[in-house]
Amino acid sequence: MDKFLQYENLSYFYQTKESEIHALDNVNFFVKRNSFSSLVGPSGCGKTTMLSLTAGLLEPSGGQILLEGKKIEKNDGRIGYMFQRDHLFEWRTIWQNIILGLQIQKKHKDEKALAFAEELLKKYDLYNFKNKKPRQLSGGMRQRVALIRTLVLNPSLLLLDEPFSALDFQTRLNVCDDVYQIIKSEEKTALLVTHDISEALSMSDKIIILSPRPATVKKQIELDFEGSTPLKKREAENFGKYFELIWRNLS
Amino acid sequence: MKNKTSYSKAHAKYLKKLKTDKTIVIFWRVVVIALFLGLWQLLADTGIIDPFFFSSPSRIFETIFSLASSGNLFIHIWTSLYETIIGFVLATLIGVFLAILLWWSERARKVMEPYLIVLNSLPKIALGPMIILWVGSGPGATIVMCVLICIIITIISMLNAFVSCDHDKILLMKSMHASKFQILFKLVLPNALPEFISVLKINVGMSWVGTIMGEYLSSRAGLGYLINYGSQVLQLDIVMASIVILCLLAGGMYALVLPFEKKYKKG
Repeated sequence: MDKFLQYENLSYFYQTKESEIHALDNVNFFVKRNSFSSLVGPSGCGKTTMLSLTAGLLEPSGGQILLEGKKIEKNDGRIGYMFQRDHLFEWRTIWQNIILGLQIQKKHKDEKALAFAEELLKKYDLYNFKNKKPRQLSGGMRQRVALIRTLVLNPSLLLLDEPFSALDFQTRLNVCDDVYQIIKSEEKTALLVTHDISEALSMSDKIIILSPRPATVKKQIELDFEGSTPLKKREAENFGKYFELIWRNLS
Repeated sequence: MKNKTSYSKAHAKYLKKLKTDKTIVIFWRVVVIALFLGLWQLLADTGIIDPFFFSSPSRIFETIFSLASSGNLFIHIWTSLYETIIGFVLATLIGVFLAILLWWSERARKVMEPYLIVLNSLPKIALGPMIILWVGSGPGATIVMCVLICIIITIISMLNAFVSCDHDKILLMKSMHASKFQILFKLVLPNALPEFISVLKINVGMSWVGTIMGEYLSSRAGLGYLINYGSQVLQLDIVMASIVILCLLAGGMYALVLPFEKKYKKG
């Protein structure tokens, strides 16, 4: 079986002045290549901690995370991270924001990388806004720019930390659709963290439900829908049934 | 892009109203200063206030003219101006640099915190006599005073701006493998630009305070010296004339900082 991203007995403790908090306890699951998986769980169960560990920003207290069979290290170049808010730098133009990662990694003179960045902008209808400042763009467009900024570095795994939570509902549904299509057409593997069950359902191939702290995998559900896009999936017949199943497992 | 002509009449009306509002404000500004000067002159001329103590606009004008024709005025203006500018530039540069060092090392920041607070609350004029003993009287002492007055507030404001940089933005930089240098130059510094501009604005005022205070303490030239001299020989005309010139210079320096702010706001 294709275990693209694998969690093996992952546990994590973090320290506070008052006590030691056991955030993750023996988390075991895997994610397939080019699949879209979502982590859901009660609030404060350590979902974001999972992503930070996966991104190599934190080090596991126990167990390990393997990406393509190789252990994830600090500052692993194979991973792209997308945050709750777009975090575009207001003093940079859209283009300068997009090549931020390239500049950091000193690849901003790499013709191939720049051509790729330009291609992404054109493909996702942002090329005309290239020289605009972030504040001149709508919330949905900004989030698309943030995604492209991540994709420019060509990561093999994308981590999404509630990337739509700062948007209003209408925009959210559309951006959700956009982001999904971009990720699919760029053939990326994605791991999403969300507290919104229908969002998780509409985007994912697989849902991993975490228990309350110390979090461990409570249930994994492989999804099978008629529709092909998040918006269509929301209209699928079995959407309600899955929703209920997940909701029951969460409470 | 919409064409100008496609806006409704209401828009033209709105623009006109904005323009009228602006004209009214400028008109009243002129009225306020004219009334103030006129009343002052009138009270002095009629002897209700004693021009010996309160001077008068015409006497101030005459004093400026006579000081200018003797050439002394320009020496005083030039002395104060270069002391202020050197103090302003040094304090801003050194202050920002020290703030960067304190941002860089959290430990250093924690160690220095109480000292910064004490230094900030200390009236810097209290150090005056020591400054004179150490650097001697003259422009050097004035510049040191000027730097001392500006630098602590520069460090504190800039450090605040640096450490309040969004934590997630730093994480974003880290997730792209940015070094600490890159985080500083690509994120923390540009992010603190608005704060830097307000520090510049504050320092324009503060550096003049420093210069005048320094010149009060000990000096042979400068507008602070002129004010001090004027009051000692009971020539209030000289004092008032110096203050008027000081207002113009400080206002001018402030106006030089404004374009930075505008540019940033547009940018």
